[in-house]
Amino acid sequence: MNQPPETTARLDRLRGRAMPVNHNARTISALAANPGCPRRALLDAAGVNKQRIAAHIGYPAPFGQSRFAITRGNAFEARLTDNGAAELLTLLRDILELDMTEVGYTDFHAVAGNTSRELRHAATRNALTGQDYGPRTLFDHPMLRLRVGGRHAYLEPDLIALRLDGSFHVIEIKSFPVIDGQADPAKVAAAAIQSAVYVHALRDLIAEAGGDPSQVSHETILIAPKDFASHPVAASLDVRKQLGVLNRQLTRMTRIDDLLAQYPESLTFDLDPDADGTPRRDPGDLAQAIALVTANYSPECLATCELCFACRDEAHGSTGALGKSVREDLGGIEYTAQALSLARGQLPPADRAEIAVQLLRAAQIREQLLGEVS
Amino acid sequence: MAQTIEALERRIDELRVAVREAVLPGDKALASARRAELKRAEQAWEDALAATAPRQVLAQQAQGSLLPLREQVYEALSLLQVPAAPKLIATVHEAFFGSTFPTTRVTSLKRDEERSFRSAPFARPYYICAALSADYLSPSRGLLAVSTWPMEKRVIGSLSPRVDFLTAAIRVADAIERIPTPPATARQLLQRFAGNIPGAAPVPGMLASAGPDQVRPDVVRQAAQAELAVHSDADTRLRKEAAARARKQLGDAEQFFGAKDGFQPVKYDETGSAAS
Amino acid sequence: MLTALARAAAATGGRALPIKTVRHVHLAARPLVLVAAQLAGEACAPLAVLVGEDRDKPRLLVVHEPRDRTQRFEFAADLAAIVLPAIERYCGDDHGGDDVGDVGGSADRSQPYPDAPQLLVPNQPTASFLRLLGRSTRFRGTEGEHAVHPSVPLLGRWLTYFSERGEVSPSSQLLPMTSVLADHWATGQSATEDANLSTLLAWISPPDGMTGRDAARAAEDPVRCPPAGPVTDPTFDNEVLEPILRAAHEAALTGDTARRRRALADLERALRGQLEPTWALMWQAVDLLNGLSPAAHVEQRWLSDRRSFTNQAAWIRDGGAPQARRDSAVAAARRLARLEREQQRLAVERAYDDPLVMAEYRMTGEAFAGDVVESDPARVDTTGKRPVLRPQITVATTDEVLFEPGAVLKSPLRPAQQATVKDVVLTGRGTTQVVLELKGGMGRSLTPPPGSVPAVGDNVTYTSLKDDYQPAPKFPEIQDTPWTHGGPPPQDVPTDEDAREDWS
Repeated sequence: MNQPPETTARLDRLRGRAMPVNHNARTISALAANPGCPRRALLDAAGVNKQRIAAHIGYPAPFGQSRFAITRGNAFEARLTDNGAAELLTLLRDILELDMTEVGYTDFHAVAGNTSRELRHAATRNALTGQDYGPRTLFDHPMLRLRVGGRHAYLEPDLIALRLDGSFHVIEIKSFPVIDGQADPAKVAAAAIQSAVYVHALRDLIAEAGGDPSQVSHETILIAPKDFASHPVAASLDVRKQLGVLNRQLTRMTRIDDLLAQYPESLTFDLDPDADGTPRRDPGDLAQAIALVTANYSPECLATCELCFACRDEAHGSTGALGKSVREDLGGIEYTAQALSLARGQLPPADRAEIAVQLLRAAQIREQLLGEVS
Repeated sequence: MAQTIEALERRIDELRVAVREAVLPGDKALASARRAELKRAEQAWEDALAATAPRQVLAQQAQGSLLPLREQVYEALSLLQVPAAPKLIATVHEAFFGSTFPTTRVTSLKRDEERSFRSAPFARPYYICAALSADYLSPSRGLLAVSTWPMEKRVIGSLSPRVDFLTAAIRVADAIERIPTPPATARQLLQRFAGNIPGAAPVPGMLASAGPDQVRPDVVRQAAQAELAVHSDADTRLRKEAAARARKQLGDAEQFFGAKDGFQPVKYDETGSAAS
Repeated sequence: MLTALARAAAATGGRALPIKTVRHVHLAARPLVLVAAQLAGEACAPLAVLVGEDRDKPRLLVVHEPRDRTQRFEFAADLAAIVLPAIERYCGDDHGGDDVGDVGGSADRSQPYPDAPQLLVPNQPTASFLRLLGRSTRFRGTEGEHAVHPSVPLLGRWLTYFSERGEVSPSSQLLPMTSVLADHWATGQSATEDANLSTLLAWISPPDGMTGRDAARAAEDPVRCPPAGPVTDPTFDNEVLEPILRAAHEAALTGDTARRRRALADLERALRGQLEPTWALMWQAVDLLNGLSPAAHVEQRWLSDRRSFTNQAAWIRDGGAPQARRDSAVAAARRLARLEREQQRLAVERAYDDPLVMAEYRMTGEAFAGDVVESDPARVDTTGKRPVLRPQITVATTDEVLFEPGAVLKSPLRPAQQATVKDVVLTGRGTTQVVLELKGGMGRSLTPPPGSVPAVGDNVTYTSLKDDYQPAPKFPEIQDTPWTHGGPPPQDVPTDEDAREDWS
């Protein structure tokens, strides 16, 4: 999976002078979920800051985070990992049946005060692959690495537990509540996918060090607040399904070269910032560059991609922009104008004859009942 | 030219919108500038309102202890006798010394203490200092210790956080037993410890429904000692070795506040001993 | 396909188009409208609520320290003081005064109350917020260390009641306006975007001179157009809310009561500013819906709501326990089966009430509509033991008819009558003639009353869509729950543990 230097160079050129945006498990899982969008695939592979370019071409996306949520999340996590991770240990002694001796705790937020990702990753690697002995059970914020679309993505799971038998468990701490034993299924699903990303990355690390990747359990632990207070509760997630899906999607994403080949070498999304960081690139020019790369807009993008508003405008007139089910209900017709002409009785192409008949009928019925002409 | 309160409120609302509109596309410079303007408008509003309100005699908020922060932290750490995080220190002080302090003040204390030491080494009888990670002898994140403690107590191996937690539990139990009527905050603190030590809760698994009154210090102590026995030998060994290394490799200031630049990763052999 | 076509047309035409000809939900004369804001990061931390039955007199409730749990329950008590009287007004007999006839106090209610309260919220997340608020309050104890005002658990039970009604498709007791509006109009944006009340209304009634699309774009700006809630915009949280709360907190710490008062006034102003626009949109939605006539079955479904409400009121009055946390296995199975049945029945009623809904079934061949070209109302079938009245009609339709002779159909206009297909003939000109033999809905004699048989020239619709009115499947009694489903469940009675739920 090694990326040829020409590809790296091209991706760097695409991105311009900016620092590559770091992936995290959330962005990887979102990226893997819609690999059908070449624009997004290219931008993410190059590590482009989509928020900034979206804003610069006049389509800022409202993807902010409330500080209250961040603070609460941090406080909940701190409560679990304070004092030798006392509260966490209590939960894990129950759900993982930890032995009394399994209490080792090491913090990987920094290495000797240095927060460099490479350094933290090296320390993590040493610690996890046994080149750095000491009684260890809990690793707090270790740094993993995953090759995604030709680049290294640094990933930071909340914790990893290493058992006496050599098995590893990924532990994720979330702040959405579990009420009466039930949590928001969408949030649990997202947590499961993220955990799977960590499992995948950890397996890679173990394998690279010559170990047995199956030592990384597909059983991950999710910790969340119970009911309406901050008392934590632990649950175990089986992420085998997510691992399978992720594997397939990551494999698909490695073919970035094929994608790059379709575009001129000179293509770049560089913002050309001045000394103060203000972009100097002409917005129209940037918009043109972006438009050169095909997008695959669907309403799902609104929740996951910072370019969504720009692509939405571009997709105006397509039935897909109205939703997948709308396009399906229109028999797969791609453009609203097309659908409407057929509904008005315009002669259909041969392969659309059946749909045309139905559209015509539908329009007639609506006219009959509402007196409106499409 | 005092503007009317309403006019000021309208201006504030406009500026709030303006700040948010600058934040949305990520224009940090513009957002900053507008925030500054907003702050000025908010101050003007406050001043205008204060001018119309009758003069308020500000109630003297009891700040609790009259001791400087460093001494309060010293009091709490002396009770615990183990390195601890600001939150625990503040809670212990509230429980046993009657007043608390915001944890943010505690985190900046370490920095001040280091500056004070470096400018006049050993001038004070004690310093609130760092605990050092055994691996790299760098300051352990979030932990505070007392400089007069032996080095062995101030280094943190991988088992030390748990060992120190159990030791702290025993010390808190001891402290509670010394008080005829321990305050609710102290009993709640003991309950928090008890909930995370096997065998320390009055009836196993029933801690959630047990009030703080039902947690017994002697039971907590016994349970903590039982688990401590499992870890202490290994922990002591690690700490002894790390302390020796620290005394050998680090200068005075670094022994108190941790090695800062560069690091020499420790290599352990299979027996768990450090290969020097 | 009809709805999809309407969406395509709306996208091109620049304005939402109707997809229903009548209103399929009940709309109260004085609905209780509620708009809420909650603090990010917590399970259920109310920030503020705008609530009321009068569009010109919304009541604003604000929590001054939303992270303080005691204040949360004080807020709940304040909310109860507004909501409970609005509910209890419909339980006519509970207010002393004129006990009219059989509207007795403690007597068994065989008659449902003449009307019931209706709660309107902007969207589904607000309904979920109320559900959580109900859950967090209905088990609270009114005595002991963590006592709350007695109105709080009562409010909790009512909020839970409304949430549960909201999950029942035919019910109109708790309506999220986004769902209702999107059910009746097709916009030129996606369903995902329709979940935003501001953009939805922008498409349905854009301001003069603006297309739906432009109006929706403008409405998407969270700074100019605050979100409908209960989640607030993050820039509002970070740039406005946090500084104000911090100022109030600092003022409390230093004992500066004047400054604290100012900060809290600022807080109320800021939160009112976030809620008022949505309040206005809610009433705009109410007006739009009132512009539609109610569908035929709406009254009947509202009667179910009234019954349900009456039973709940009686249950509470008679000291019944609050709703359990989780359904037992049997209760869950029962509930699911009931929901499915009700959903099916609702689908049929909607089709019968609304030709636009029926039109979708015409497209799939499950219905056809046309004019009666021949009618023999007096036809009698003498082949059996006794002569029976079996009128026959022929309907000419341009719809595709997939029915075969022998199919038994119904007409929305004559639901008591059965129509059996006798013959289906394709004429050359793109129409189909269907011969139907009618049975029932004409009385017992051999002469049909006038109007009970379609006449020539009438426009009629026939469909295979029927509500079979099947009886509920048999489930074991709760105490006989089989072991495979965990055995009989323990009774979920609120305990001291609930009253003392961890507050750290």
